[in-house]
Amino acid sequence: MKVTRREFMQITGATATGLAVSGLGFDLSPVKAHAQLFKPKYAKETTTICCYCAVGCGAIVHTSLKGDRRVINIEGDPDHVINRGSLCSKGAALFQLGENERRLTEPMYRAPNSKQWKRVSWDWALTKIADRIKKTRDATFTGKNAKGQLVNRTTAIASVGSAAMDNEECWIYQALMRALGLAYIEHQARI
Amino acid sequence: MPGKSFFVDTTLCMACRGCQVACKQWNGLPAEKTVNRGSYQNPADLSFVTYKLVRFNEVVVGGKLKWLFFPDQCRHCLEPPCEMTADDTDAIYRDKATGAVIYTEKTKSVDAQAVIDSCPYNVPRAGKDGTLAKCNMCIGRAKSGQLPACVKTCPTGAMNFGDRKEMLAMAKQRLGKVKKRNPKATLLNPNDIRVIYLVVEEPNLYYKFAVASNSSFDITRAVALRRLVRPVTRLTASL
Repeated sequence: MKVTRREFMQITGATATGLAVSGLGFDLSPVKAHAQLFKPKYAKETTTICCYCAVGCGAIVHTSLKGDRRVINIEGDPDHVINRGSLCSKGAALFQLGENERRLTEPMYRAPNSKQWKRVSWDWALTKIADRIKKTRDATFTGKNAKGQLVNRTTAIASVGSAAMDNEECWIYQALMRALGLAYIEHQARI
Repeated sequence: MPGKSFFVDTTLCMACRGCQVACKQWNGLPAEKTVNRGSYQNPADLSFVTYKLVRFNEVVVGGKLKWLFFPDQCRHCLEPPCEMTADDTDAIYRDKATGAVIYTEKTKSVDAQAVIDSCPYNVPRAGKDGTLAKCNMCIGRAKSGQLPACVKTCPTGAMNFGDRKEMLAMAKQRLGKVKKRNPKATLLNPNDIRVIYLVVEEPNLYYKFAVASNSSFDITRAVALRRLVRPVTRLTASL
């Protein structure tokens, strides 16, 4: 039986009433089970770095050791040298990166001039992206510029990178972009 | 007075609202749909699903603009008027070890409006079915030696939590320091509640209910009468 915390509260509430009723009436402090247990008690702790800004706060991710092994809590890492356990409002919301019903779990595609997004497979999306990059790059590739200098570039594709990429991811990403001949490579460098 | 207490130093609060989000996250509370009201205070007020709210106020004091931040929450009164009003320890009770004032699902059966009206700090909020909700001091955390989510996440040290004696000492020490630059600095109802705020302006500039008025601690005649006859009703109920 899966019991949510709210249901658990109701159950323990009923137990407390039972105890109160069975008492003699003189007991002014009926025994009460604590409804809210310490959530990450049976959890694995993994440290991570907040993905949002350049401060680089440390956080602890608690994942369930029972059942689905999903994330049950994320909070600041008290041993981390930068934030010593604290997190701002963005960091405090890290939990929702993983556990969020609005999170996209599949690639979405909006065709040119269409108003609708539709779900597509990773296979379809990656093939399509590769296809278009190859086509655009081949059509616009410039070996030499007007002065006859060797440039090997395309100015028809630009890359606007993610703010949530770390240093190493950025290196791989820009290496790939350079290999394709991109000149316009931008990234919201934060981490 | 044993148990736990908070010390909230508003002079250190930068209104990042980390406490507000950490509270939501720990308590598993949903977001609220909000609109731009021209203030960063968001949502507009405490609610059934918002136990902690940083209040933002722009005021002019002595010809100078001041932006006042007030991280509002339940004060966990030493003698909670809400507990007296509900008069049902299955619905509202005080945790012995910490002193936290806890609302249970059973608040559904008490007079919600009377409880709300009894609060000198305008904290409790009713859900659709009449159940009441508010800050629970992260009781599960507090009981296992952890800091409440709001205190744990605070990056500036504005939110503090610990044994009441320690918090009172910290509040008094900090007051002494802050008073040198801000003669108006004061602690709000430190002897009545477990969430002690340090403010440097008139309390009502931060929030209308930042400090309890003297009269609001009085209990109503109806409540007093109910308390008087309570031992008798308890006895009859058990027979």
